Amino acid sequence: MIKKFEVGGVPGLLAPTTGPMQAGLAFRVGFTDEPLAKRGITHLIEHLSLHSVGVADYHYNGATGVEFTRFHMQGAEKDVVAFLNGVCAALRDLPMRRLAVEKEVLEAEAHGRSASVSEPMWLWRHGARDYGAGAYPEWGLPSITEDDLRAWVARYFTRENAVLWVAGDAVPAGLELDLPSGTRQPLPEPSSALPVTPACFGGSPGLVAWDTVVPRSAASSVFAEVLERMLFRELRQESGLSYAAQTDYQPTGRDRVVITAAADCLPENSGAVLGGMVDVLATLRAGRVDPADVTAVISKRVEGLRHAEEVAARLPGLAVGLLAGRDVLDVDEQIAGLTAVTPADVAAVAAGAWANGLIMAPSRADWAGFAIAPPESLRAVTGTEFKPLGDVTARLVVGPEGASLVEPHNLLTVRFDECVLMRAWPDGGRQLIGADGIVVWAEPTLHRGGREAVKLIDAAVPPERVVVQAIRNPEQIPQPRTRSTTPTTTASTSDRVSGILGLIVFWPLTLIFGALGALLFLSLSTDAEDVEYTIVIGLLCIPVTIIGIIGIRRSLYRMRYGPRKSRQR
Amino acid sequence: MSDTVLLDAASAYPEVNNVLAALRGRDWSAVRAVLDAAPPVGRSILIRAAADEAGLEEFLRYVLSADPDDTAAAAMLGMHLIDIGWKIRSGARAQHVSGDQFVAFHDWLRRAEVVLLEGVARRPDDPALWVARLTSARGLELGLAETRRRYRKLAAIDPHHLPGQNQYLQRLCPKWSGSWELLHAWCREEMLAAPPGAVQGALVVDGHIEHWLELDSGADLTYLRNRPVRQEIDEAAQRSVLHPDFRHDYGWVQAASSFAMAYSVLGDRTAAASMFTLLGDLGTDLPWCYVGDGNAASQIRIHRQRSLRRGKAA
Repeated sequence: MIKKFEVGGVPGLLAPTTGPMQAGLAFRVGFTDEPLAKRGITHLIEHLSLHSVGVADYHYNGATGVEFTRFHMQGAEKDVVAFLNGVCAALRDLPMRRLAVEKEVLEAEAHGRSASVSEPMWLWRHGARDYGAGAYPEWGLPSITEDDLRAWVARYFTRENAVLWVAGDAVPAGLELDLPSGTRQPLPEPSSALPVTPACFGGSPGLVAWDTVVPRSAASSVFAEVLERMLFRELRQESGLSYAAQTDYQPTGRDRVVITAAADCLPENSGAVLGGMVDVLATLRAGRVDPADVTAVISKRVEGLRHAEEVAARLPGLAVGLLAGRDVLDVDEQIAGLTAVTPADVAAVAAGAWANGLIMAPSRADWAGFAIAPPESLRAVTGTEFKPLGDVTARLVVGPEGASLVEPHNLLTVRFDECVLMRAWPDGGRQLIGADGIVVWAEPTLHRGGREAVKLIDAAVPPERVVVQAIRNPEQIPQPRTRSTTPTTTASTSDRVSGILGLIVFWPLTLIFGALGALLFLSLSTDAEDVEYTIVIGLLCIPVTIIGIIGIRRSLYRMRYGPRKSRQR
Repeated sequence: MSDTVLLDAASAYPEVNNVLAALRGRDWSAVRAVLDAAPPVGRSILIRAAADEAGLEEFLRYVLSADPDDTAAAAMLGMHLIDIGWKIRSGARAQHVSGDQFVAFHDWLRRAEVVLLEGVARRPDDPALWVARLTSARGLELGLAETRRRYRKLAAIDPHHLPGQNQYLQRLCPKWSGSWELLHAWCREEMLAAPPGAVQGALVVDGHIEHWLELDSGADLTYLRNRPVRQEIDEAAQRSVLHPDFRHDYGWVQAASSFAMAYSVLGDRTAAASMFTLLGDLGTDLPWCYVGDGNAASQIRIHRQRSLRRGKAA
């Protein structure tokens, strides 16, 4: 039985458990709240607030997620109290002297962390804002100031925006949770970067993934697991195309859930994995749901829930649910909801799931009715044009509205009013990121008058969206290559021999006929006899000499670089 | 010796006329009666032949909307949409097909795919759907792995489904980004997997005909006459068209026609004559459209006369 309580104005949930006491404090703040130019600020605060807790011997942890930030502790009652009170105290007075060091720690953590498979899907679905922000590295860190941190804490780390859960016999004595007062921060509405769904976009080799957003319900959770069973059978057991074919069920917002399916494979098999996954999704959409799968999933989940209830494992999820405005269901209600799910309910979820679907695969899924998600912008801005240098193909256009990179088959535009982040390097390089996720690189080295372009951009982008970067190494600064004609091949021995033979033939030929022609024309001025013959023979010498010169050039080329390549398309 | 050459599927399989008559009368239950009575391979051949009829889309969409589980209608509609696309593309090699033609071709194939996907979602055990999906997969260049997956799905339902095998054979050709090694090995494997007397021997000769077609004049004949190739063709004929168990099942005309063509090109008039005798007036456009001026009927006529004259003399 779950009991509600309150400590220091923070609502809490209490349930008994079998092991040592566990407790958690969660705040309604995460990546989804971070503007890209402040990306990383929540994680930084989490780190700073845990620093003062020190290297104590007990089991604690902090985690920053998409919608919530959590602090968790397991141990003796007095340690739990010390931990939670300590976190609250640290939030009131962050150890700012640690700022530079913790930024470095976060960079190290990011370096060692492997991205979740679904991150690119957040970006393609939502763009570079709210629910898409988590797909980006913590790019805001360099510019985050002490004032930024205080403002962020004052807004999000307040008692009205927090929830507590305790797994144990009673709320431990001495718990104060002295947090500043504020207001509950609602979850942002998810933006969309997809004009139509279902949609698809290109991913990396060896992985096919699909995700969707559906209403949160018992049927949705059963659908996710039925889908996993079917994918496992289809892609692993029957065809051997995939090793791991799995689904994930992630509640989001108040009443929605993101379901993700992912299957790994050999790069050459990704087309077949895509085909198999699409077939399974269409099978469920068409209503062919095996009742045996539904029954098996329900009984497994019921068993899981009963076990979770015993060890109070449902508590953290229920607690953050309070912050999102969800009801607290007791375990019997939840089980009743599950056991009422029918195959028809699962099919109904599948139909909606298909319609909202987004596929990430190395090959296109347009054949199956998935629209290709727009990889570029619809329009270029009008303004000053900066021509490309050397082998660079894109023109940079900067106008009062924004900046565009224009190529014959690629168009990228970031409007200044929709620019969520500009990364600025001291050498003049600029990376502009639009709310829709489109990126424009403005590199002064790559365009004629590039410095002027950067000045125009700098004047137009609001300073709070700019993150100044560390100095780049010279080799990191892109340079145009001159369109080189020097071949990269080298001559083989036989090519060298042919070249030398050519020189032996063509040098004397050129010298003899060139000299003869010259002498004949000279003789015209001294000798008036047989003028016509002299002219004709002299003229004949000219083409032979020209052929000789061409021969010498070709032979030299061959001797150095080998035979000429025919022009590639 | 008759001068008649009958190339249409209806001459080989009279049921085609029954399906077409029912379709023209927009009587779907009569269409289904013929299709349901045919064996699986026959059903696929009938659906394929009927799909060639012009102006079916609206009617078949109507049939499907009334019963989305009617996968005979789904397969026929899918095949029909593929046919429309392929006529726009034309049978020419890719380098002779314009960009606009490709755009329209792929657009029709994608419409077909959507219909076929819904079909296999409802009845994955209908082989005619997979035959159509193999055809569209090739046109859309969905890649070897996906085409192979589709073929395996078909083979799991019916391991010797000639109409699907013909499609997969084309996909394995280098002109569709396959390779000769893959193609010949697969053809032989499928022949050996089929019971003696089955039509699958034709896959081996079709593989060699595709290879012959790809080579320059002169080298092509040398290739066919090359001993191991010739032996494989003879072995395939013995296992299929010349085998005592060879029956006039659906697909038999295609098989005999391929051997007749190969033996005619090889100049083995006796062997060709026995195929022409078997066929009577019947023939097929493929592979005869690969010979001479590409007019299958006149090529069959010329070679048939030549070999039967010789056959009589012998």
